[in-house]
Amino acid sequence: MRHIGFLTAAALALGAAATAASCARTPPRVLTVSGSAVGREGDLLRRQIERFARLHPSLTVAVRATPDAADARHQLYVQWLNARAVDPDVLQLDVIWTAEFAAAGWITSLGRFRPPVDDFFPAAVAADRWRGALYALPWFVDVGMLYRRTDLVPDSPRDLDELALLARRAQDVGGIPYGLVWQGARYEGLVTVFVEYLGAFGGRILDDAGRVAVDSEAADKALSYMRDAIHAEGIVPMAALAWQEEQTRLAFQAGQAAFMRNWPYAYALLQDRSQSSVAGRIAVTPMPGAPGGAPTAALGGSALAINTHSDQPSDAYALIDFLLQPEQMIERAQVVGQYPARPALYATRALAEALTVSPSDALEVIARAVPRPTTPVYHELSQILQVSLHRALTRQQEPCPALREAAAAMRALLARVQLTPPGS
Amino acid sequence: MMPPPPATAGGSWRRDEARFAWALALPALGVIGLVALFPIAWTVWESLHLHDLRMPWLGRPFVGVANYAEAMTDARFLDALAHTAGFVAATVTLEMSAGLVLALALDRLARARGLIRTAVLLPWAIPTVVAALAWRFIFESPGGVANAALVRLGMAPPTWFADAAAAWIPLVLADVWKTTPFVALLLLAGLQNIDRSLHDAAAIDGAGPWQQFRQITLPLLAPALLVAFLFRALDAFRVFDVVYVMTGGGPGSATETIAIYTFTVIMQHLRFGFGSALSVIVFAVAFLFALAGIRLLGGRAFEDRPS
Repeated sequence: MRHIGFLTAAALALGAAATAASCARTPPRVLTVSGSAVGREGDLLRRQIERFARLHPSLTVAVRATPDAADARHQLYVQWLNARAVDPDVLQLDVIWTAEFAAAGWITSLGRFRPPVDDFFPAAVAADRWRGALYALPWFVDVGMLYRRTDLVPDSPRDLDELALLARRAQDVGGIPYGLVWQGARYEGLVTVFVEYLGAFGGRILDDAGRVAVDSEAADKALSYMRDAIHAEGIVPMAALAWQEEQTRLAFQAGQAAFMRNWPYAYALLQDRSQSSVAGRIAVTPMPGAPGGAPTAALGGSALAINTHSDQPSDAYALIDFLLQPEQMIERAQVVGQYPARPALYATRALAEALTVSPSDALEVIARAVPRPTTPVYHELSQILQVSLHRALTRQQEPCPALREAAAAMRALLARVQLTPPGS
Repeated sequence: MMPPPPATAGGSWRRDEARFAWALALPALGVIGLVALFPIAWTVWESLHLHDLRMPWLGRPFVGVANYAEAMTDARFLDALAHTAGFVAATVTLEMSAGLVLALALDRLARARGLIRTAVLLPWAIPTVVAALAWRFIFESPGGVANAALVRLGMAPPTWFADAAAAWIPLVLADVWKTTPFVALLLLAGLQNIDRSLHDAAAIDGAGPWQQFRQITLPLLAPALLVAFLFRALDAFRVFDVVYVMTGGGPGSATETIAIYTFTVIMQHLRFGFGSALSVIVFAVAFLFALAGIRLLGGRAFEDRPS
């Protein structure tokens, strides 16, 4: 008993020290928001929050800085939310986290605030739903797109075969080392690249009924195509198997590749003459399709959600509503190049002036956007797939058995977790 | 290890003495209990439950050894176990041999001993993450220094981190580079404990350097060798940062070690129960290994010490 008493005392002392260190939560109510708080993105968020605070003089709003790396931010959120912290009130979520956080009861359903869901891209809203209820609202959308050097390849490829042909020709005739670069390291980015090839051949990760479909013929074709692009045709460099977004961008902006698959953030950087040698010579299109499928863009981006244990959910919603207003989204597009989640804005002159890329080009890609599976066990599901994809791409396994193994493991996972909704 | 209190052969003052000793030791024992025993017990308890943060509605039911049973049939865990064993074998062998050579060389140094010893210890002083990042840059494809050097030598370098076998080379090299100085320092201390006159006597009896090394240096260095071996083997068994930074366990899961897999299960998949079971298995293996090391070799090594 004395031992337990001592433990309790120690825990209380630690708790008291922690409270004393962070006692911001005193009478004037502090609304906290967490998200990317570094660089231009952080400055922008703070600026917009100041404007919000001026409209709501009774509130004090503060930014809780979180790591920029997705995995690190995820870990921190889990620590906070699992400990039922009331802070932060508003959370910036990666599009693939919403279902996990909603199922765990960490974020609150937004239905009671009657959000104008029809104003946002349906694919983005779909990713923010869990069991029919809405748990987050899309802040900005990210889509995987095909960047092309217009001086080497004037016209966009009609399908994947033509893409391979043009990439090869650029290597042979244009004398550049790589035809195409994409993110081939074993991480979430590889799954987004695969989603695009998969869609091109008409495949899916999960079918409409939520059943695993990565051992389909289309998936085998997609993965074989990716592997052959590296090992048979030599269009994609072997080195790309360890590359994430920035390595591909650096190779492309140094003029080493004819095509690149990347997210919208790269566009403004590539057009910046102070660092890019390909400025003024690039264009974007959706990744092309193949027989049996359609051009597909992986959907990424961020959503805003409210902490279940927040003690001021309506103020939190007011802040979300403010950050999702057209003016804020356009400012975001202008400062950090992130695409607004409201389709209506793409016809406006304001967005055309804010974005480096033409809004119609962007919209063409967004129209092809496909979300990744919405499930609380997405992380684990994705990692099974990442390992198998990477094994096939690094020739440790043939695509077909690799995908069959992945499908079996994914089925076992979904069966094991038996996703029963809360309360049923 | 605390010596047991003296047997209660004598009068009551002995018992009082013993009680007083325990009272004095109590704070230290309390701290050990709090920071070592309590977390271990908690982890064992957790490992017997289904605890998945993603599905709080499942509660935390007691599931007995189900998590252990799953681990034993989990191909990825068994692979990770094999990878870790291979890593331990490779790095410890290299570190012990290189460390011994380095220690012998340092022991012979006549001049600038302090300076050179400090310089040798530098890799050990650099934070592992920083060192691992530097090594990753060296082996980066296609622009890394390692590739440039191999090309100059007329060889075709592999794409290190996209090759299931070649990816081990940078990992092992980085670990050996980083920790050989530590082994060397431990062995150097052992070497300097050896009485010079033994060597002089052997030389007079006509023993050559190799014979002296075999018959004098090695046996007398055994305790230091054992300590260095245990430290390194246990450290290598728990290897995390070098792998996390350099390959992340890839390509595929070809370089995934137990620590990396356990981290993934707990911190990314949020499976606390299963992850705890993995941790307990790792702990048990390391514990038994340390125990066996100390029992089998330790007793002899500590008894035979010349004093």
